[in-house]
Amino acid sequence: MLAPLYAAIATSAFSILFGLGWIDASIASCGAALGWAVYEWFPALHAEAFSVFFAALAAGLFSEIASYFRRKPATVYMIASIIPLVPGGGMYYTMLSTLEGNTAQSVDTGIATLMTAFSIAIGLAVANVIGRIAFGNRYRPLRPKK
Amino acid sequence: MHTEELLLFAADTARLMLESGGETYRAEECAISIITSQGGAEAECFATATGLMLSFVSDDGKTHTVVRRIKKRIMNLEKVSRIDRMVRDLKTDQIGFEEAESELDRIERLPERSGKTRIAAGAFGAAFFALLFRADVREAFAAFFIGALVALVVRLSARLRMPDFIANLAGGALAAFCTLLLVQIGFLNRADVTIIGVIMLLVPGVAITNAIRDTIAGDFVAGLARGAEAFLAAAAISAGTGGAFALWQILQPLFGKGA
Repeated sequence: MLAPLYAAIATSAFSILFGLGWIDASIASCGAALGWAVYEWFPALHAEAFSVFFAALAAGLFSEIASYFRRKPATVYMIASIIPLVPGGGMYYTMLSTLEGNTAQSVDTGIATLMTAFSIAIGLAVANVIGRIAFGNRYRPLRPKK
Repeated sequence: MHTEELLLFAADTARLMLESGGETYRAEECAISIITSQGGAEAECFATATGLMLSFVSDDGKTHTVVRRIKKRIMNLEKVSRIDRMVRDLKTDQIGFEEAESELDRIERLPERSGKTRIAAGAFGAAFFALLFRADVREAFAAFFIGALVALVVRLSARLRMPDFIANLAGGALAAFCTLLLVQIGFLNRADVTIIGVIMLLVPGVAITNAIRDTIAGDFVAGLARGAEAFLAAAAISAGTGGAFALWQILQPLFGKGA
């Protein structure tokens, strides 16, 4: 049950490495927690790729909304909030099996890794489209100066 | 129209966008909208992960072109959002050209995170990633300290201007070796969760995802370049950990009984 919290803290560490201020880092961490919660609690059709897709979609939509209200490009929040989902471990295991000469294993993990990365990218692309339809590539207007 | 300044300014904006981890299409759009907002015609920009070309036609009918190479890529999302802000303001005439130039200069010189912050972030990142992969308290504790150590090594190799490949190789080897040492002295029962938690600091998960995002957006060359970068990084990390495992096989008999 604590997993989304762990995901949020790990993300905030990365957000700070990526140069975000504390407000944006907190927002991105909420997005990461949301994405991880979707990933863990809705094992859609018991297929990894679908769970990751919905998780990335949730994190992406959250990022689009944050982008509108904070007047910053959505990618700022997207990159940070997908950090727990991205298949870094998969890339590593793929290369490790290749080095160990276990070709079958490496093809297996390699394809799974690419599928995960594709699912995330597609989830973000769909979120982007929805964001564009909703906000039209504009941010919340500034209040007129008095 | 001050064509030369405009060309260089637009190219440098796109370059900084790519260096800071912005998407390829966003960098291209930034350069093009800067030029069209200042009255340039037929602006075209072609960007990849390693360089960009930009050209436009000025009002006297001459074509101006510049090429910029991208040598370093350090993710800095604050720079991405400030460049985006600056370009939007310039497009809507809220700031003038000179103001935009000095703002780009300020963004370029934004300080990077200090070494202490990076090491602390590395420690917390590694520990909580280990917890996310169902580590127990001891394993998370180990990941905390090894993560700090790996962040320190990455920082040092950046200082010494080593290629990323070397930093990943050393980081992977250090993570595996320290963990195996802790298993040997009986602090940990297994090595894999701690290693993978620490390795998350180095792995190119964001890079491979961005590569595919670029490809979906239609930037095939940029996508391939970023994909190659991601594969190389993963290869370096696995070579590091694999090397450490191999070295451990040789060293282990020296410690007496096996773990």
